[in-house]
Amino acid sequence: GACRVSMSMTEIRAGFAAIKANIQSRDPIRTLSILSHPHSLHKVQSSDRCCITYQLFTFYVDKVFKHCRTEDSFVNRKISSIANSFLSARRRLGQCREQNNCVCGEESTEKFKQILANYEGLNVTSAAMKSLGELDILLDWMEKSR
Amino acid sequence: SGELYCSLPNPRNVRFESINMKNVLHWSAPEGTGDGVLYKVKYAVYGVGKWIRKPECRNINRTWCDLSSETSDYKEQYYASVKAFLNGACSDWMETTRFNPLTDTKIDPPMVSVSSTDRSISIILTAPEKWKRSPEEESISLLQVYPGLQYNVSVLNKKTKKRWFFSISNNTLVVPWLEPGTAYCVSAQIHVTTPVLDSGFSKEHCITTLKDK
Repeated sequence: GACRVSMSMTEIRAGFAAIKANIQSRDPIRTLSILSHPHSLHKVQSSDRCCITYQLFTFYVDKVFKHCRTEDSFVNRKISSIANSFLSARRRLGQCREQNNCVCGEESTEKFKQILANYEGLNVTSAAMKSLGELDILLDWMEKSR
Repeated sequence: SGELYCSLPNPRNVRFESINMKNVLHWSAPEGTGDGVLYKVKYAVYGVGKWIRKPECRNINRTWCDLSSETSDYKEQYYASVKAFLNGACSDWMETTRFNPLTDTKIDPPMVSVSSTDRSISIILTAPEKWKRSPEEESISLLQVYPGLQYNVSVLNKKTKKRWFFSISNNTLVVPWLEPGTAYCVSAQIHVTTPVLDSGFSKEHCITTLKDK
C-alpha cells in the first residue's frame, strides 16, 4: 500500500514563516534554485513521490540543517525544531521503504541528481542556506501532492 | 539611456500586496522628492536567470503596478524591483523580498447565503475565486488551491445574544433546534490549516426563523 507519514506541517510551516525573511535575505542569488529549476517538483509522477520525499528529507537532514547555523539564537532554535520534525518524519518514511512501499523510479532518481548538482554548484554554506530558504517550495509541493 | 547617475533617493517599502492572488506591487516615493518622479518596474521568477521588464509600468508616476498576470503561477516564486527617475537622475533598483503567491496572499471572507425553516437555518458558503486575467478565463476556486481549506461559522441568536461557533470542511451547514420567529445572524471566515491563512469574518447575514405552524 501507499506510504502515508504524518508530519506536523502546521508546526513546520509556522517555524519556517518565523525565519523565512531572515534566511532568504542571506541568499542573494535570484537566478538559481536548488529545488524548483530547471525541473519543478510538481512534475514528479505520483509513483515517484514517496521516494523523492524520502530523498529530500535525507538531503535536508544530512546536507542542509547542519550547515545553517546563524548568529541568531532565535533562528537557530527554529531551525533545530524543523530539523527534528524532518528527522522523525524520515525515520517513519524509512520504515515504509523497508516494506518496499517507496520505490525509486528513474524520474525521481534523475530529479534528485539535479537537486544535488544545483546544491554542489555552490559553496556549502550558501547552498545550505539557499536550500533552507526554499523549504516552502518543498512544503507547498508535499501538500499539493498529498 | 539618458540616465546620468543614480543619486536619487530610492523608492521605499517595495512589496507585493496580494488578495486572492491578485498580486500588486506597491512602493512609496523616494524621500523628499515631491512630484514629477517616474518609475519603471521589472520582475523575475525565482531560480530563472533573467529580469523581465513590465512595459505597462514603464515611466509611470503612480506607485503601484499590477503583476498578477506575471505571477499567476503559484507554484513559482518571484521577485520584483522598482527604479525611480527625476530630471535625468535615477535611483538604485529596489527589490521586494521573495514572494510566494501561495503563502503570501490574503484571502477574502467567503460568500454566505442563508435560508430558514421554523426551527433551523441552512447556510451555504462559497470560497472566493483566485484572481483571473479576464471574466472569460476559467474560474479557479481557492478551494482547489488550498486542499486544507475550512470554514469557521458564527451563529448569533439576536434575542438571547447566545453565539455558536462551527468549524466545517464542506460548504453547507444546517443549524437545527432553533426557536421559531427568532432572528439569527450568521458570519463566516475561511481558515486554511496549512499554510496557515485566515480570512476576516464576512459581514453578518441575518434571517428570522418562521413562526410556529
